[in-house]
Amino acid sequence: MVAPNKERAKSTIRSLRRRDVNLAGLASIVAGLVAWELLSRFFVANALFLAAPSQIFAAIYQLAKSGELWWHIAISGIEFLLGYVIACGLGIVAGLAMASSDTAKKVLQPWMSGLYATPTIALAPLFILWLGIGIWSKVLVVIFLVLFPVAINTEAGLRTTSLRLIEMLRSFGARPSQIFFKLSLPSATPFILAGLKLGIGRGLIGVVVAELFGSRAGLGRLISQSADAFNMPELFAGVVILAVAGIVMTAGFGWIERTLVPWTQD
Amino acid sequence: MTTKLVISGLSKRFDGLEALHNINVDVERGEFISLVGPSGCGKTTLLRIIAGLEDATEGAVLLDGRALRGPGNDRGFVFQSDNLLPWRTILSNAMIGPEIAGHAGPHERQRTLDLLKLVGLEGFESYFPRQLSGGMRQRVNLARALAIDPEILLMDEPFSALDAQTREIMQTELLRIWEKGRKTVLFVTHQIDEAVFLSDRVLVLARRPGRIREMVAIKLPRPRGLPIKRTAEFVAYVDHIWRLIEDDVRASVIDEHA
Repeated sequence: MVAPNKERAKSTIRSLRRRDVNLAGLASIVAGLVAWELLSRFFVANALFLAAPSQIFAAIYQLAKSGELWWHIAISGIEFLLGYVIACGLGIVAGLAMASSDTAKKVLQPWMSGLYATPTIALAPLFILWLGIGIWSKVLVVIFLVLFPVAINTEAGLRTTSLRLIEMLRSFGARPSQIFFKLSLPSATPFILAGLKLGIGRGLIGVVVAELFGSRAGLGRLISQSADAFNMPELFAGVVILAVAGIVMTAGFGWIERTLVPWTQD
Repeated sequence: MTTKLVISGLSKRFDGLEALHNINVDVERGEFISLVGPSGCGKTTLLRIIAGLEDATEGAVLLDGRALRGPGNDRGFVFQSDNLLPWRTILSNAMIGPEIAGHAGPHERQRTLDLLKLVGLEGFESYFPRQLSGGMRQRVNLARALAIDPEILLMDEPFSALDAQTREIMQTELLRIWEKGRKTVLFVTHQIDEAVFLSDRVLVLARRPGRIREMVAIKLPRPRGLPIKRTAEFVAYVDHIWRLIEDDVRASVIDEHA
């Protein structure tokens, strides 16, 4: 009877600590914004080099009111989502193939490792040449950036299935397919989620950089055209929106992890 | 008494090294037999062969007169480490046997709930393994093996990871649970007093190759409580078994340090 109570007490302490950390984090962000505001108002007087947070939020408000912002967000969002979903699907399938067949691993592994390490974003101009400046060139860039970490993590997760637990299931007469669904897949889930999380940041970079190389709309486009016009508030507006998107999606993933794989939290 | 399990002419070789040599044992229905011996005597290997987790090189194992091949629901295996799935609740962990066999219905669910109650885990059904102590997790390990209602229970040093006090408690608990159902049990341990305390007979093995040294019948009255460990008869049994394996244990200790 002692253990669970102690456990509950521990988790209460943990959540209290988490609240402290959140307060400290919030204070740090506020202080940073104030410092930035002061810096850009009193030291970097030239609006060509830096925009104050107040100006940036004003720019975001204006862009949102005119509807321009939503258009950019929608385009970038569609590019990201299409590329991300396709890459995750392909990556998980490739990871499953590599984990379940030695031949598949030998065939795919060099490409996976090689292309994971390659800054494939440098191929963005080539993809734009092939597919035009529409969304599909960006989707392809995102696929190239997200696919490999997802595939590599999926494979690693499935390979680290505990031999002791496999044996336990075998002792009950489990078939290979039962071992896969009841053990390998759930125990690989934290690894797969880590790969998907890694993919968010890489995917966002892919969208923006590919848009910088050539596009009609999107947050990368907003940033590059603002830079051309020396419109610092709008440039930063694009960056802030991207940062918020990254933070929100990563936090969302944290929530998914806590819900889906709570046993890894301790 | 009827014979439940027959081990006949069983040998096992790993890459030319003989781990078990010509093992012959008849186990009666409802009997509690412990396997003791120095490390390297093949006691765990013997248990794993009976479980179907490994194949014998020669010989056969018969359960109710039928030759065993591969794992099956007629044998419940209790592992040395609890081997619980961390993402499943205690109830769902204990139900895994019926689930794998494809009949995890309300009847099996009720049976498993009763078993969890029997092993002293009532109220913990929806907890997760990480919320339980080592001793409690081993109780789940036992309930999980019993949930398939096996003909025979195979236990591989299930208490070796527990501290000394918890271990003693678990021994009496195991006897209490065993008295209720009188399953046939094969119990591997390296602790002689544990073997004597639990068993009807203790199979003492020698090493290199693993072979039977002696089958010691423990004629202590049941039900047994912990005070029995301080009786002269009990100590005499422990002494006798210790003398049987002492030289072997010394040799194995030297081997491990060489």
